[in-house]
Amino acid sequence: MIDISGLVNLMIAEQVNIPLLYPIIYNFVLKIPVIGNIVAFLLGIPIIRYLIAFILWKPIFILLIIPGFGTLGTMLLVLPWLERKLVGRMQWRVGPREIAPRTRGSIQLLADSLRFLCQEVIIHKEAHKPYFLQFPFLYFLPVLLPLLFINAGTIGRTLVPIESEYALQLMIALISLMPVFILGVGWSSNNRFAFIGTVREAFMYFAYEIPFIIAILAMVILYGTSNTVGVVSAQTSWWNWGIILNPLAALTFFVAAVMATARLPFEIPEADQELAFGPFIEYSGIAFGLAYVMAYEKMYVLSAIMTMLFLGAGSGPAIPYVTPLLGDLYYAILFVIKTLIILLVMVNLRGVYPRYRLDQGLRIGWGAMLTLGLIAVAWSIVLGVVL
Amino acid sequence: MKKVGTPEYNLQDKLKYHLSALSTAAKQVALPLNITTHYPRERRRWPDCFRGYILFDPERCISCFQCSFICPANAIWMKEAPSNRYYPTLDYGKCIFCHFCVDSCPGGALKPTKIHDVAYRTMEEMLTLTEEMVEPPEIIREDKVFVDYVIDTEDLSLKRTKGRDNLIVEIAPSQGVPMVSQCVDRASCIACKVCEKVCESGAVSSIKDEERLIVKMAIDAEKCTGCGLCVKECSMQILRLVRK
Repeated sequence: MIDISGLVNLMIAEQVNIPLLYPIIYNFVLKIPVIGNIVAFLLGIPIIRYLIAFILWKPIFILLIIPGFGTLGTMLLVLPWLERKLVGRMQWRVGPREIAPRTRGSIQLLADSLRFLCQEVIIHKEAHKPYFLQFPFLYFLPVLLPLLFINAGTIGRTLVPIESEYALQLMIALISLMPVFILGVGWSSNNRFAFIGTVREAFMYFAYEIPFIIAILAMVILYGTSNTVGVVSAQTSWWNWGIILNPLAALTFFVAAVMATARLPFEIPEADQELAFGPFIEYSGIAFGLAYVMAYEKMYVLSAIMTMLFLGAGSGPAIPYVTPLLGDLYYAILFVIKTLIILLVMVNLRGVYPRYRLDQGLRIGWGAMLTLGLIAVAWSIVLGVVL
Repeated sequence: MKKVGTPEYNLQDKLKYHLSALSTAAKQVALPLNITTHYPRERRRWPDCFRGYILFDPERCISCFQCSFICPANAIWMKEAPSNRYYPTLDYGKCIFCHFCVDSCPGGALKPTKIHDVAYRTMEEMLTLTEEMVEPPEIIREDKVFVDYVIDTEDLSLKRTKGRDNLIVEIAPSQGVPMVSQCVDRASCIACKVCEKVCESGAVSSIKDEERLIVKMAIDAEKCTGCGLCVKECSMQILRLVRK
């Protein structure tokens, strides 16, 4: 039998003995000179210093603040607004404006989410109640877990929560879990439109998943490693970014990401005009808010992976005075900016393309994209032999 | 029979069209054209002949009922005023803004405006009484800019000008076709003198013929405004409106 009281005593003892761990914490704490003084002051206060040290501990900082949960939350608030504004510009409209007109309606999403919070969540009689309510929340698991392996830094400045030799494989496995949650949402809604949307989602899942994996495989072959630290270290400057070395893999990955997140040329599962938001049709109130941002969460994760694989993660030109001041944060910010650019391109395809039919989408997935992916793998092998 | 199929594109064409679509979108994101008017803050400048809210000038009204007769939606009803004259009331719940009434008014008593945004709380309020038609409705104007649509060689674009557009236009009343009342069958006249009573402009007069003990009606074409009241009221229906 395990002596539980002894275990608890040990944990309490370790809590108390945290000051002994200071050297470790200070070695891991981000070296950001700007907030260094503030951190030093806060570290003088008894309880807050543990909290600060914990938050600024590298893995936790990446996972919670940038580019993890905090950035994801900010993106969810900003991205739909940016999307509506830019698509509005493309279509000669104005976009959201009436809420806070001086800031061009930038708090539109905040207002919307407030409204969602105040609305009643209707669960209809036929719905499978537990799954119906749980899946939009549980969706955060496969969204946040891939971020454990993301490397937002650059060479010599790795910003990765967990370093693993199988990081990319693990990420693919976790991302492949996401459609399961959408299928669960559609199934538990128990509605004919949700059912059609769910079946379409399943079809599209088969169409994009294989080219998606093959595109990542091509990059793994090219870099010779699936460790995210190694992947980022291989992209030293802009001329050997993945997108320059293997543009076909980048294109395949991008189109697969658009398919995976059901953005407009492949908005087949949601299909507003015929299925009225597909699997998410029965949601209302804050549950609808969560279901609405599901696609954006997935988009963020896929864009982050694309930044890491093809755009050199956080690498970029150092700006005098700014880079030394921000330290590690500078590279993380560069990473987020690159991710945002990919997100904006992905999101604004809505203003350009109409929707494909399901059979067209399947044909593109199994035909053109699979071919492109295989050519990309061959090109990676050729490059690997030549270089 | 010719069958229409899907257009066939080769890979080069497809790439070209994709790139052109994406570059157009990028161009519009950077330098967008705009055709949206920010309505309460700016107004589009409508032409002076805009068919909007209708104003009424009782001084010019001759109570001829023409507006009420011509209204295709039956929105104009005449109500009796304390002075025993009849003036129009307009039900905006029925009005289709064809402005036939404005065009048909011989005295120019009905006047078009550019006001097109009037709100009512109830359906009953939409029945606008004569007194309410004299003054324009109260408008809260937030606009500081007015907008014109300009069609140049390539695209439609907006031209914004600072200032306020005047919503109440001074427009000359419609002349229409000058008409005059005429008796087509003098032998059938029973000399009931309805036409004389009804005429506002005093164009109809009766002449008593003492010898033959009859009364003759005479219409002065110079004084007649062509309102057509006598034509409608004539008990024998022998009066007609003809061109002057």
